Amino acid sequence: MMLLLAFFLSFVGLALLALAMERHWRQLRATRPLTSTAARSLRFAGSVALASSLALCLSVDHASMASLVWVMTLAVSAFVLAMLLAWRPGWLAPLISWSR
Amino acid sequence: MYQTFRQSMTWLHTWFGLVLGFVLIVVFFFGALSVFDREIDRWAQPATRFAPQPMPSFDHLLRPVFERITEPDPDAVELARSMVDGPLPEKYPVMDWSAYTTHRDPVLDTYVSFDVPNARNPDDHVHGHQTIDPRTGAQLSASDLKIGSEFFYPLHYSLHLEWMELGYWIVGFAALSMLAALVSGVVIHRKIFRELFTFRPQKQRQRVTLDLHNLTGVVALPFHFFFAFTGLVIFAGIYFPVSETQLRPLVEAHEQAEAAATGLPHDPAGVAAPLASVDAMVSDARRRWASRGMGGDVGFLFVNHVGDANGYVSIYRAGTDRIALTGQGIHYQASTGALIREDPPETAIASVNEFLTGLHLQHFRHWLLRFLYLFGGLAGCVCIATGFLFFVEKRKQQHARDGVAGARIVDALAIATITGTLIAALSMLVANRLLPEHLADRDEWQRNVFWMTWLASGVHAFWRSGFTQEGGAAPAWREQTLLVAVLAVAAPILNWLTTGDHLLATLETRYWPVAGIDLFLLATGVTASLIAHRLRRPALAHAHLATMKP
Repeated sequence: MMLLLAFFLSFVGLALLALAMERHWRQLRATRPLTSTAARSLRFAGSVALASSLALCLSVDHASMASLVWVMTLAVSAFVLAMLLAWRPGWLAPLISWSR
Repeated sequence: MYQTFRQSMTWLHTWFGLVLGFVLIVVFFFGALSVFDREIDRWAQPATRFAPQPMPSFDHLLRPVFERITEPDPDAVELARSMVDGPLPEKYPVMDWSAYTTHRDPVLDTYVSFDVPNARNPDDHVHGHQTIDPRTGAQLSASDLKIGSEFFYPLHYSLHLEWMELGYWIVGFAALSMLAALVSGVVIHRKIFRELFTFRPQKQRQRVTLDLHNLTGVVALPFHFFFAFTGLVIFAGIYFPVSETQLRPLVEAHEQAEAAATGLPHDPAGVAAPLASVDAMVSDARRRWASRGMGGDVGFLFVNHVGDANGYVSIYRAGTDRIALTGQGIHYQASTGALIREDPPETAIASVNEFLTGLHLQHFRHWLLRFLYLFGGLAGCVCIATGFLFFVEKRKQQHARDGVAGARIVDALAIATITGTLIAALSMLVANRLLPEHLADRDEWQRNVFWMTWLASGVHAFWRSGFTQEGGAAPAWREQTLLVAVLAVAAPILNWLTTGDHLLATLETRYWPVAGIDLFLLATGVTASLIAHRLRRPALAHAHLATMKP
């Protein structure tokens, strides 16, 4: 259960980092430019999510195992994220619902 | 040779990737299958479809099993022929007994190692082996092939080319080139961070294959790197046999010194001695593990110098909750059962080594990580496959104009290693269910089906790829994908018809090893038929192959 949450957080973290990039931000907000403040906050939130995901992994397993789980979780999340950005970018909209 | 570093790296990446990619994709694919080798074994051996068992009682069950293994296996006798100069020995004296199990094994592998008295190298020995049902001690038929752990898994690291250990060397060289391909790939990738999450399926074919190649290569980069690297570490003894050559005297001195330091005799005394109750030693070992706050399943049990006064018993804890395979060894004197030694905590070097080999061999209990590894392996397959497709797409028009066969040959080899590998593996599973149960050499038949179908798919790929030479798409792609779909659906149906374990039953009883394999086969079948359908439209042909699950 904790690991599923870790998985989810790693996905959210990477998604926030991706949205801090001009190219992906524009996929969701074509008309509104990405401000540098917004980019910075997205990056910060994304890093926090990734760090919490690592912390959750460490809380479940021995450190040697947890590090592997976390790195591999990132790989799957990044792949899923790339697929979503290609086919269903709209699904990521809730992550930046504050910027309307 | 080239103007810029990036150009030379592109050359390296392209040509080493192309030549060794054909090996690497086989290594990655069967490595990915090996993550679930025990489950594939259960699918292929219906008689062993029962729950995993702990290490059974040694005194009552294992000892008689070991005592009935009086000779090396037939292939080990063949091996012994290369160890001696004269005739083979009449009798092989027993040296050690051992048994290894993991939390996923219902059956138990028992090994006896035998001395080869007149061997050139006095350290040489050969093995006898039996797989048993640990509930009864009954031997399982040796011709009942464990397709997962005895065929797919060794294929992953040795290609089943045993002669001169050639397969290990080819795979090792491929792994080394994989490391070079990863580094050079990062160098030639222009926008590794900016395009980290980029996949543009709507662009033209060449761009799509490159996007997918980059994506599957980069997101799983740590996996690719670590698995190529740790694979080399595991077989370092083969690639750098210094302990057998230049450093031989040092190694012998070290073994003697270690024996003196640990009190574990290096050589037999030559005096016969009885064996005390090993079960008592096991329960003592469990108590000692428990006092250190660790759960106590026995993973590895070893009786050294069987029947000798210097004999000792080593009991290792299963590494279920750690990356290391086994650990916390405790050693007892065989004749008295007295404690000789508890292994101290690992040194830093030893634990790094155990981490590196353990992360690759994965005998731990962590199903999420197991599935993540499967993803990593399949991502590797997609990465290599899209590399081939990109190579072909980029050149085939040019080659068509020049009348060169290069793109066609690569395309045909790609077909043979992508869909061909799938067809061979699936045909083997189908043959496993169709061959009569009491057929003599049933294991040989299954192996032959695998190699023959693979060969046939290669021939078919060359025959049906003429269009590539004219700049079109090879019909072999679609035809073989269709065959994959048919075989992948046939396998679970045959499993149902021959064993009665259909998916609804295995899902209801939560028998995941067989249910999981069946589900995976069906998913492969559905994916393959969708792809075959897309391939009917030639314009889309290659773009969508790229998304295929290998």
